[in-house]
Amino acid sequence: MLSIDSLSYRYTAATAPALDGISLTIPATGIYGLLGPNGAGKTTLISLIAGLLNLSTGHIGLDGQPLAAARAARPRAIALVPQDYAFYPMLTTQENLRFFGGTLGLTRSALDEQVAHVIAFARLEQVVGKRAEQLSGGLRRRLNLAIGLLGKPQLLLLDEPTVGVDPQSRHFLLESIAALPAAGTTVVYTSHYMEEVEAICQRIAIIDQGRLLAEGTLEDILHSPLPLLEIHLDAPLPPPLADRYSAQAIGNRKYRRELPSAADLPRVLDELASHGCPVRDLSFGQHNLEQVFMRLTNRSLRD
Amino acid sequence: MSPRLLALWLKEIIALSRDRHGLLALFIMPTIFILVMTMALRDAFTPGTTIDAPYVVVDLDQSAHSQSLIRRLGKTASFQRVGISDDADATRHGIASGRQALALVLPKGFGERLLTPSGADGQPTEPMQLLVDPTLNPALQLAFRNQVMAALGALRADELTQRAGKLFGLPTIPGAKAEKDWPDEIVSIAVRNDANVRPPSSVQQNVPAWLIFAMFFVVIPVSSIFITERQQGTLQRLRSMGVPFRLILAGKLVPFCVVNQLQALLMVMVGMFVVPLFGSEALEMPATLPQLANWCAVSAAVSLAAVAWALLIASIARTSEQATVVGGVGNILMGAIGGIMVPKFVMPAGMQTLAGLSPMAWALDGFHMVMLRHGSFADLLPSLGKLLVFAILALTAAVWLNQRALATRS
Repeated sequence: MLSIDSLSYRYTAATAPALDGISLTIPATGIYGLLGPNGAGKTTLISLIAGLLNLSTGHIGLDGQPLAAARAARPRAIALVPQDYAFYPMLTTQENLRFFGGTLGLTRSALDEQVAHVIAFARLEQVVGKRAEQLSGGLRRRLNLAIGLLGKPQLLLLDEPTVGVDPQSRHFLLESIAALPAAGTTVVYTSHYMEEVEAICQRIAIIDQGRLLAEGTLEDILHSPLPLLEIHLDAPLPPPLADRYSAQAIGNRKYRRELPSAADLPRVLDELASHGCPVRDLSFGQHNLEQVFMRLTNRSLRD
Repeated sequence: MSPRLLALWLKEIIALSRDRHGLLALFIMPTIFILVMTMALRDAFTPGTTIDAPYVVVDLDQSAHSQSLIRRLGKTASFQRVGISDDADATRHGIASGRQALALVLPKGFGERLLTPSGADGQPTEPMQLLVDPTLNPALQLAFRNQVMAALGALRADELTQRAGKLFGLPTIPGAKAEKDWPDEIVSIAVRNDANVRPPSSVQQNVPAWLIFAMFFVVIPVSSIFITERQQGTLQRLRSMGVPFRLILAGKLVPFCVVNQLQALLMVMVGMFVVPLFGSEALEMPATLPQLANWCAVSAAVSLAAVAWALLIASIARTSEQATVVGGVGNILMGAIGGIMVPKFVMPAGMQTLAGLSPMAWALDGFHMVMLRHGSFADLLPSLGKLLVFAILALTAAVWLNQRALATRS
């Protein structure tokens, strides 16, 4: 439903483009994860979809319509929940919700109904009369999310929605977001927390330095086309073995090498044991997102 | 009415009602200024009011003529008589100890020698003496001396008229007082368009002046909310929701213009009803409907200029602290050179020219044109025009700065 084609974007006076030829298709009713380290171009991509930046190169379409036309026809179709607490600290929870509902053009009865709906959805009943500046980090995140849902958006853009919240609130937020596609809302979820993305996203795009590095279902992304063995040893790998294995040091006594078949694994473990290098832990074949990202960019997602 | 605009207005009003510093700057500060400055400058604006230089008359003659002179002096009311004495030495001590600044000694035989001054008949005449505090302003000493001479001249003229009347058998009203109510004061008349009335009092100068100053202080709440919106990403969120920037501006202009009109109402009420409680005269508002409409037109133009200026400051400043400093200092400078703090007419010519650069001076000229000169709408056009051009320029600059900030981001 959201198609992005050859999208490039360069900020004024920037030396490198923030986005460089990105093409994606985000299907309806699902949660689409947009992963990348800080400065990768996630927020720029979100800002272009939200209409905060003007499109210069490439095309974005919503349900087959160019984005600008789709936004003009259905102004509430796309909602952005920014990373900042984008509401009024001096207003109460209820006043904030009524204000943003009003700016969406909601009339009295529809406004009452939608405000009540999002209060229930984000479980803000206990704090409706409390000023936003007095809310905890988790409640502020919930209010931020609730505001985004006031217009019953078809596409919800979430920019790092769980930054700075306690584990309970994070769990609640993730559960709530995971429930959104069932109510007909497609979610684009940007984050650099891989566990979150692994937990709730059906499809993922990994971008870095404005380029798309990988795109597909979570399974596709995590499946390593090249069986890699990552081992964590109790002692440094002796040089002769390191040469023979063509192993790459990836951390403190951590090494990575290609291993064509799982059948070779017992032999490798025996050799290591005989050289006085017991294995502390290892992974083979299926990788987590951090490892995939490391493999693709030689950088950590949290850089 | 657009629900979006209503929502924006309501938000500004709730936010302002919770901004204690903003409310203090908008309503309490100018009220205090008006009361304090009206009291402090009560006598500085009105010619002919009481001068704070008390005097004592030492009447050694105790005649009908000496008492008549004392009464005549008392009527002029410019200097304050604090007593009549018959002891010159005690009065001298009174001056030395600062109880009074002046003492007029009427010598014995003053009445008898009234029409034969300076020994015109060959007999010596004892002169009147003026005892003065040497620290008293020489201009005031001279003024008092002139008042005594004037009263003495009038007394002599009366006496002469009466004696001549008797001499020539002119008809007199039985029981009529020798002392006439001469129109011996010169009344200052302010030249206005319609009627000639007394010049403005301190309250008429101070209420519009501090009202203008207070209106420009919307810079504090306007920038506080605007900068919060920018820093918190709320402006971005509103943009992503399709709220155009012009609607956001309209959402601020209208509520703060209403707040400015509330300030005007409060300050006028203070001038009319509170200032008199402190012994000063009440504020006089225009009496006719067209003049009242002119007053409201000036008030609305000042308000537009003030809110536009506030939006410009809010667009320039990065933090609320910067806005408070830049806006506050800017207002104080505009007030200082614009004749708010020091009335323009006491400034030297060069400073008066400089005052012409301050929007607060244009605003004050506008209010003075309505309140003091009772000018027509056409007379107001120069002030209104300058204020509106200033408002449009400030708003344009604010919009341009915000668009440039977005362009830099993009």
